[in-house]
Amino acid sequence: TAGNKIFHFGPCRISMSMTEIRSSFTAIKANIQARDPIRTLSILSHPHSLHKVKSSDRCCITHHLFNFYVDKVFKHCKTEDSYVNRKISSIANSFLSVKRKLEQCHKQNKCMCGQESAEKFKQILANYEGLNVIAAAIKSLGELDILLNWME
Amino acid sequence: GDALLPAPQNISILSTNMKHFLTWSPVIVQGETVRYSVEFQGEYEREYANESWIPICECSLITATVCNITEDISATVAYNLRVRADVGARRSEWGALKGFFNRITTSLTPPLMKVIADGYHLLVELEDMGPAFQFCVLYWKKGQESRMQQKVVKEVSSAVHLDTMEAGPDYCVKAQTYVEAINRNSSFSQTQCVRAQGGRSVWL
Repeated sequence: TAGNKIFHFGPCRISMSMTEIRSSFTAIKANIQARDPIRTLSILSHPHSLHKVKSSDRCCITHHLFNFYVDKVFKHCKTEDSYVNRKISSIANSFLSVKRKLEQCHKQNKCMCGQESAEKFKQILANYEGLNVIAAAIKSLGELDILLNWME
Repeated sequence: GDALLPAPQNISILSTNMKHFLTWSPVIVQGETVRYSVEFQGEYEREYANESWIPICECSLITATVCNITEDISATVAYNLRVRADVGARRSEWGALKGFFNRITTSLTPPLMKVIADGYHLLVELEDMGPAFQFCVLYWKKGQESRMQQKVVKEVSSAVHLDTMEAGPDYCVKAQTYVEAINRNSSFSQTQCVRAQGGRSVWL
C-alpha cells in the first residue's frame, strides 16, 4: 500500500512505514538543508556511495545506520521551530520502531556483519566526527533521503 | 491570593481507524475563559531525548476540550500525552493521560462498501480511508461459500472489478480493512448480494 513497505534483507524481514517517514522528511527537508552551510561534504556518501555496499552487508549497514540516527543524530537536531521538531519526533519514533526490529534480526543471527559494512560504517562515523556535533547532526538529517532512497 | 487552577481531568483518547483524538473534561472557572495546551512524548523522547515533551501548536491555548493528535502519533510506539489549563496569568499543573497510547490499539471498523452489478460485471466501491488502509474483499456465488474468492485492494480510487457474472445466481460480497503499520484487520462488513440480469442492476 502507499503506507507500509516490507524490506527483505536476506532472512531478515522488516515492515516499515516508509510513506510516513518520507512525508515527515519531505515536510522539513528544505528547512533542515538550509541550516547546513557545508554543501561540499557528505556524511553518508563520502568517499563511496551506499550503493557500493554488497547485498550481503545491506542488513548490517542498515542496522548500523538506524542505530546511528537514533543514538547520535536526532537528539542534536532540536530547532526553534515547533513544526520542524514535531516532524523530527515523528521520524525519530518511526526509526526507533524499525531499529527494534533490526535488533531482533541481529539477535537471531539474521543480520550478519561483514568486513565491508564495518569499514563503511567506520567511514560514516569518521565523516560525522569530523564536524561539530550540531553541524554533523543537521547534515546527517538532511541526507536522510539518501538512506531512504538506497533502502528502496 | 488566586486559588491554584486545577489540572484538566478525565483525559482520554478516542482512536478509530487510525484517527486519534485526545479529550478531557473542561476546567470550570466562573466568568472566565479557560484555555488548554497539549504536549506529547514518544518513546524516542523518553529514551533518547531526556524525556522531553513536544507541544502541538494547533492545540496551544485552545478553548476546545479535544485535540486531533493523528499527525503526531505517526509511529507504532508508546506515547505519553498531557494537557494543562490557563486562565489569564494563572496556569494549572499538567494533567496526564493515564498510561501510554500506542496506535496499535486503534479500533478498526468494517469499511463502507457498495456492491454493483453493472450488466454481467460484479463491481465494488470502497470507502477511501487513507493511505494506511488496504482492503480484503471476499466474493462468492450464493450457496457456494466453499468457493469463496479473495481480492486485495491496496489503493481505493474507483470501483473495483471483481468478476464477470453468469445470469441467474446471486453473487455475494463482503470486505474488511487491513492496516499494515499495525498489522491488524477490521471485522467484515455486512454481506451484500446482487444478481446480473441482462445489464439491469438488481438489489436484493
